[in-house]
Amino acid sequence: MSALLTRPRSGRAAGTARPLPRLRPARAGRQHHGGRLAYAILIVAAVISAFPFYWTIVAATRSNAELAASPPALLPGGNLAHNFRQVLEQADIGKALLNSLIVSGSVTVGTVLCSTLAGFAFAKLRFRGRNALLTLTVGTMMIPPQLGVIPLFMLIAELHWVNQLQSVILPGLVSAFGVFFMRQYLAQSLPDELIEAGRVDGASTARIFWSIVVPIARPGMAVLGMLTFMASWNDFFWPIIALTSQEPTVQVALRQLGGGYVHDQSVIMAGTLLGTVPVLVVFGVLGRQIVGGIMQGAVKG
Amino acid sequence: MTLTATAPVPPARPPAAQAPAAPPRRLLARLSPYAYIAPFFALFAAFGLFPLLYTAYVSLYRVELQTPGEMEWRGLDNYTALLRDDFFWTALRNTFTIGVVSTVPQLLMALGLAHLLNYRLRGRTFFRVTMLLPYATSVAAATLVFAQLFGRDFGLVNWALGLAGIGPVDWQSGTVASQIAVSTIVTWRWTGYNALIYLAGMQSIPGELYEAAELDGASRWRQFLHVTLPGLRPTVLFTIVVSTIGATQLFGEPLLFEGSISGGISHQYQTLGLYMYEQGWGYFHLGRAAAIAWVTFVLIVLLVLLNTALARRRSRKGTRR
Amino acid sequence: MPTARAARRATLRLGAVALAGALLAACGSGSTGTSADKDGKVTITVDLFGTFGYKEAGLYDEYEKLHPGVTIKQSSTENEADYWKALQTRLAGGGGLADVQGIEVGRIASVTQQQADKFEDLGPLGAKDLQDDFSAAKWAAATTADGRTLGLGTDVGPEAICYRTDLFQQAGLPTDRAELAQKWATWDGYLELGRQYKAKAGAKSAWLDSVGSLYSVIVGQEKERYYDASGKLVYDDNAAVKAAWDLSVKAAQDGLSAKLAQWTPAWNQAFSSGSFATIGCPAWMLGYIKGQAGDAGKGKWDIAPLPGGAAGNWGGSYLAVPKGSAHAKEAFALVKWLTAAEQQAKLFKKQGSFPSNIGAIESVKDVTDPYFSDAPIGRIFGAAAEASPVQVLGVHDGDVNQQITNALGEVERKGTDSATAWSHARKGVENAVG
Repeated sequence: MSALLTRPRSGRAAGTARPLPRLRPARAGRQHHGGRLAYAILIVAAVISAFPFYWTIVAATRSNAELAASPPALLPGGNLAHNFRQVLEQADIGKALLNSLIVSGSVTVGTVLCSTLAGFAFAKLRFRGRNALLTLTVGTMMIPPQLGVIPLFMLIAELHWVNQLQSVILPGLVSAFGVFFMRQYLAQSLPDELIEAGRVDGASTARIFWSIVVPIARPGMAVLGMLTFMASWNDFFWPIIALTSQEPTVQVALRQLGGGYVHDQSVIMAGTLLGTVPVLVVFGVLGRQIVGGIMQGAVKG
Repeated sequence: MTLTATAPVPPARPPAAQAPAAPPRRLLARLSPYAYIAPFFALFAAFGLFPLLYTAYVSLYRVELQTPGEMEWRGLDNYTALLRDDFFWTALRNTFTIGVVSTVPQLLMALGLAHLLNYRLRGRTFFRVTMLLPYATSVAAATLVFAQLFGRDFGLVNWALGLAGIGPVDWQSGTVASQIAVSTIVTWRWTGYNALIYLAGMQSIPGELYEAAELDGASRWRQFLHVTLPGLRPTVLFTIVVSTIGATQLFGEPLLFEGSISGGISHQYQTLGLYMYEQGWGYFHLGRAAAIAWVTFVLIVLLVLLNTALARRRSRKGTRR
Repeated sequence: MPTARAARRATLRLGAVALAGALLAACGSGSTGTSADKDGKVTITVDLFGTFGYKEAGLYDEYEKLHPGVTIKQSSTENEADYWKALQTRLAGGGGLADVQGIEVGRIASVTQQQADKFEDLGPLGAKDLQDDFSAAKWAAATTADGRTLGLGTDVGPEAICYRTDLFQQAGLPTDRAELAQKWATWDGYLELGRQYKAKAGAKSAWLDSVGSLYSVIVGQEKERYYDASGKLVYDDNAAVKAAWDLSVKAAQDGLSAKLAQWTPAWNQAFSSGSFATIGCPAWMLGYIKGQAGDAGKGKWDIAPLPGGAAGNWGGSYLAVPKGSAHAKEAFALVKWLTAAEQQAKLFKKQGSFPSNIGAIESVKDVTDPYFSDAPIGRIFGAAAEASPVQVLGVHDGDVNQQITNALGEVERKGTDSATAWSHARKGVENAVG
């Protein structure tokens, strides 16, 4: 990176007319106050980001006919209770939420564990075939995920797992990204000296892993866990194949909503709202940590 | 390194060179790294690698989902047939144009927003969280909502355009319009996320560089150009690679936009991912679908290599300066 | 040896991790939906598409009351194409199937010719005594070459035209069924009326919903459409298909269509917004209209016989029991009951799906529907069903139809010329048939 940073220096060399040097606290350059324009742009961006959510609420509180009116409805209406009743009638949302929680929770715990173990090995241990295996892992990130669906389904069916939650959980644990992420994280934040010190003290690799690696990896594990949870919660492609409406996750249930006798857009939106509310609540409570986590992951990962 | 619990050894030293440790201990210790990757690779072999290899095998045959027992050897015919397949080329072109339309403005906007978010702001957590919200939505939910917003007759977008005196746009049938609509969904979902990634990158740029630039009298704009951007290069490369992969695999948005596996009435926004889905799941031609998937894979590898090569050349140029 | 012990411990831990994952998974997986309890309770799963309307007509409740211990669970996918895809995957994988699966008539040839081994032969289960209850054609289509019966007929799709009396009135068109039937005795007459409507109604409302649906209704009047009796794909040389195509293109070019794609949210919304004044109406469409237009639409609609002289058929379905169902016998009992004359008649009265059971057809002759301005739906659809040709079915009927209506969508929405659009359809068919 140092090579990349030569540019401003050369610019400096070229600079001739230099104004009076002003003293500023360190990091002054990037701590300017935002001007009105900056606020204006950010507010517009925030509104655009939030508007579809707002509109989901509007649509969920209206009737299908009102959605087809012109000019369109822009304010919430009074049909929410009715639409929610329809949603609950058409799809087992309660079970879906529970199932999603089980699936996403298991996938998150499992992925973080597997990824941390493998990430540690790839980052800090030496073994034959390490680079080849790592390349293989990273390479699979480039393969379109739809590719393997048909044989995967045959496998799941062979195991008689169709319509059972492990059919979604176990394939969900295979996260090449997770392994790569933890490898990068540990390669950067786990000093070799710590491991050496552990070894000098006679600790085994397993011991080193639990008492040195895991504590250091914890922030990275948290970020990965969060990303995994969200991805798993929102995954729909594989679950709608492997599960049916008898054992749905939230996304499967949402697909089911469109399938009623009456294809009611406002009901679908009410279902979408129900499926999205948990995410919104989590963001309301943990927003700062999530943002921090993603940014931390970006630098380290 | 793994072998010795006693003394630090140069990491390059091969294990065989290790001195007289007790054999069982040595064996266990040598196997121990594999124990760490075993859980991942066990799952990976079953649920990742096996399906992939199977499709590679299947791509050499004519296989239909209804009659998986009847496999007819095709060799590379499934691949060469793609070259003569108009739909394949359309899908390739669409993947490229949608990829560009959804990625380039997205990353530029993310860069701009990150720059603004980097100011000292009131309510900065609010802004950051709000902009990350779209990222937390599922493709399914986002596409459902946007499909409504982009409705031809009752959509809000056309209503707003109508207020501005612009006639209703057919966001579903028009080639350009539908691609813009699909790209909008992608852009909406990912801009905030990338802005945060850039913001993180910006904050890791040492403040002294800015001070130095300021001493040189560089304007904020020039600081942005000459300090921020070069400092962000690794991050930018990362986001470009990730976005390229994402764009090449794009699938959920075009599928759910109208619920059409053909990507609209005239394949106008069918991506490679969707074309593969249409072949495999719409028409049950497993062999052909597998061939498309593998072509997509090769394409992604090429694009990623191209990206990194370009970036390397650039940074070498930078060094020379 | 501390290291060895530690390594062993590590391995154990790893094993524990893997086990924990498996256990978590095992805990998470509930019952598999179709397991019978010890006390003889049975849950029968039914997986359908579109608008069968059993639940809405209260038939499941009735059946559960008649058979204590039986619980019926239904799932449904709106779009048949999506439903078919999921069904094919599950058949291929051999799992996740319901005890009863709905099959659309456009797919029944694929079932009898390609997937006969994946469905129960209903004959030995008791279906062989039922043959005389159904129309010969309906029965034959679900029978394999070696005489296995893979499904029992639910409804058929005799066609008529549904129209909005209120919009007709505003445009100064007659609203009387008989008068309209006379005016649109031919398809040209129908389009001519459309042009009159267009001149009066302006841009807000079109004559029909989509030329794709117009095409499907017209081609439904033909005996031979996409395949000939020997199973050869002949759509490209079939003059009847070409005539239906040309007429649809003409309707599109005259601007008579609201340019909506069927089975999309926009199309659904248009039922209540008055975006179109007429729609080709197979009997099952009645239930769809009621659902989409809602109570507000009651009395605004009416039904008149189909133009073009010959009656036609579009759609209709079967119920089948996939192999491997844990309750094949119970499932068949349900199928038999649902497709029996009494239930089919009930369904027609409530939802409009026209019976394929001869006994039911007899009993619904005099049914009228208040939602559709008291139209004599029993008489109209009964006559249509009687006069419709026995269609030649092929393996890829559904796909060919899809490609052609797609191409017609191009004509109406993008202004593509007829020849180019047809070539697209042909390419699409080649691609689909593979």
